[in-house]
Amino acid sequence: MSVTASAVTKRFGAFTALDGISLEAREGEFLALLGPSGSGKTTLLRILAGLEFPDSGSISIGGVDMSESPARDRQVGFVFQQYALFRHMTVADNIGFGLTVRPRKTRPPRAEIDRRVAELLELVQLPALGGRYPAQLSGGQRQRVALARALAVEPRLLLLDEPFGALDAKVRKDLRRWLRAVHDRTGLTSIFVTHDQEEALDLADRVVVMDHGRIEQIDTPEQVWERPASAFVCDFLGGANRVMAQAVGGTIDIAGVRLPNRAPAMPDGPASAFIRPHEFALAEPGAAGIAVVLRRCLRTGAQAALETETRDGSVIEVTIAAPPEGLAPGAALVLVPQTVRAYPA
Amino acid sequence: MTPARPTGEPRWLRWLLITVALAFLALNLALPLAAVFVEGLRKGVAAYAAAITTPDAISALKLTLTVAAIAVPLNIVIGLAASWAIAKFDFRFKSVLVTLIDLPFSVSPVVSGLIYVLLFGLQGWFGAALRDQDIQIIFAVPGLVLATIFITFPFVARELIPLMEEQGREEEEAALSLGASGLNTFWHVTLPNVRWGLLYGVLLCNARAMGEFGAVSVVSGHIRGRTNTLPLHIEILYNEYNFAAAFAVASLLAGLALVTLVLKSLLEWRFAGQLAGRGH
Repeated sequence: MSVTASAVTKRFGAFTALDGISLEAREGEFLALLGPSGSGKTTLLRILAGLEFPDSGSISIGGVDMSESPARDRQVGFVFQQYALFRHMTVADNIGFGLTVRPRKTRPPRAEIDRRVAELLELVQLPALGGRYPAQLSGGQRQRVALARALAVEPRLLLLDEPFGALDAKVRKDLRRWLRAVHDRTGLTSIFVTHDQEEALDLADRVVVMDHGRIEQIDTPEQVWERPASAFVCDFLGGANRVMAQAVGGTIDIAGVRLPNRAPAMPDGPASAFIRPHEFALAEPGAAGIAVVLRRCLRTGAQAALETETRDGSVIEVTIAAPPEGLAPGAALVLVPQTVRAYPA
Repeated sequence: MTPARPTGEPRWLRWLLITVALAFLALNLALPLAAVFVEGLRKGVAAYAAAITTPDAISALKLTLTVAAIAVPLNIVIGLAASWAIAKFDFRFKSVLVTLIDLPFSVSPVVSGLIYVLLFGLQGWFGAALRDQDIQIIFAVPGLVLATIFITFPFVARELIPLMEEQGREEEEAALSLGASGLNTFWHVTLPNVRWGLLYGVLLCNARAMGEFGAVSVVSGHIRGRTNTLPLHIEILYNEYNFAAAFAVASLLAGLALVTLVLKSLLEWRFAGQLAGRGH
C-alpha cells in the first residue's frame, strides 16, 4: 500500500526534529531513510507508525488520511532497533501476539493462529525455535522473530528502525540479503531507517537522504551515488575528498584542471569540489593538478591506496589501479582529477 | 602462600571477614530474635498459648491483618499507577512526584501520624465537618489504614520505578503497533514484565504494614480490643510488666515477619534467575 507524508513538522521543545517533510513510498516499494543521528529519520518512521504525532502536516496510508489514528488502528508492522520482543513470552507466543489480542469477533481460532505462527517461523528460517525465550536467541535470530511478529498481523506497511544496527558485520550482510528476499516475496511496502550509506544503497529501491529534519534528496541508489543533490549528500556518502575549486562558465577549475560538473549545475564562484579516491590520475611534478607529497602507500594486489598531503596540510586519499613502480613516502606527485562533483562553497 | 585464584584474597582474610559478619549478625539479629521466642515460652507452652489467645490479642491480630489487607492492595494499585506514570511518560513536575514518593521514608513516623490527627482529629481541619457527618477517622480503623498507607506507600513504587525505567517503553509500543488495546498491553506486557519486582515490593509493604508502630500509635488512641494492632498491644503488655505475654505476642508478630522473609528470599532467588537469563 502506498504511504504519503505531507509537510510533516515535529518539534521536541526547542529542537526541530522534522521540518516540513513530504515524501511518498509507492506500492511495493522498499524505501531507505538515510541520515546521520539527529536527522529526524527515526522520528519520521515513528510518526508513520502512529507512535508519535506530528505538530502539523498529514500522513495517509493507501490514500486514506491516518494522521489522527493511533498506532493500533494503523495496521503498520514496526520492527524496533532493539527488537522489543516480549521477554516473558516464547518465540511462538511473541509471533502470535498480534492475533491473540484481537477482539473475540475478529480473532482467528487457536489452531489457525498456531498454523500462521508455524508458517512465519518457516519464513524466518527458525522452525525449531518456537518454544525458546528471546533471551535464549542470538541477535540475528531475535531480529527475525521481531520481523515475523510484525508480519503476523498482515500489515499494510512494514517499518524497520535500524534493522541491522545491533548486529555484527557478518550477520548484518547475510540478513540484509535475506530481508530483501523476504520483501520481494511478500511485496509489502517497506521503509527502513539506517545511518549506513552502504546498507541504504545496497538494499533500497529509492533512498531518502535526510539532514536536520529536512530531505536532501530522494532518488534511486544509482542517482544518489552518481549525482548527489548537495554537498551534504556527497559528503555523507563517504570517502570523497573535499577540495576548494572555482566554478567558471559551467566547468569546475581545480588547480588548473578544468572538468565538467557531475553535480547539478551551479553558478560561477567558489566551490566545494568532491573527488572520490579512484577518480584521480597521477602526473609528474610540474603538470597541472594538485601538488602533493606522498605520506603512505599501501599496496593491495594490483591496487594501491595512497595517503597524500597538500601544501596546506590537508590529506587526500587516492586509489590507483596500476601504481607506478618505486613510489616511496616523501615523493612529490601531482594529482589530476578525472571526475568532479562541485557545490557552491 | 598463593591465593587459589588471581583475584582471591588470602584464606585468613576471607575467614576473618566472614567471621566478623557472622558474629555481628548473630549478636544483633539472631540473638534478639531467639530471645523473643525464649522469653515468650519462659512460663511454658500453656502460658504462651493463653497469652496469644486472649480476646485482646486476637482482636489485635485481626485488626493488624485487616489494616494490612486494606492498605496493601490499595498501595499496589496506587504504586503501580505512580510508577507507570513516572517510568513511561514525560510530564512536568515529574521530579517533584518522585521526591514526594520518598517523603514517607524521610519523615519520622510520629510526624506521619500527627499529620492525620491535624487533618481529621476533632480539633483538626476537617474535624468539625466529619463529626457532623458522624464519621470517625482518628482513633478508629480508617485512621489506622490511612496512616499505614502513608507509611508503606514507597515500597511498591520504589521497587517498580527503576525496573520499569530500565525496561523502557518499546515493548508497550510494539504491543500497540500489533493492534493491542491499552488494557491488553497492560495485562499481557507491562504487568508480566514487572511481576516479580511487584511481588517483592508487596511483601516488603506487607511486612511494614503489619509491623508499623509510630504513626499507628499516634492515630490509634490505644482502645483495647478496638484500635490496638499487634505492635501496640505488645507495647501495652510490656508497659504493664507482663513480659511473658508481651514476648509471646511479639513472637507471633516476629513469626509473621519471618514468613514474609522466607517468601521474599524465595522470590529473590526466582527473580535473580529471571534477571540473569535476560541476556542484555
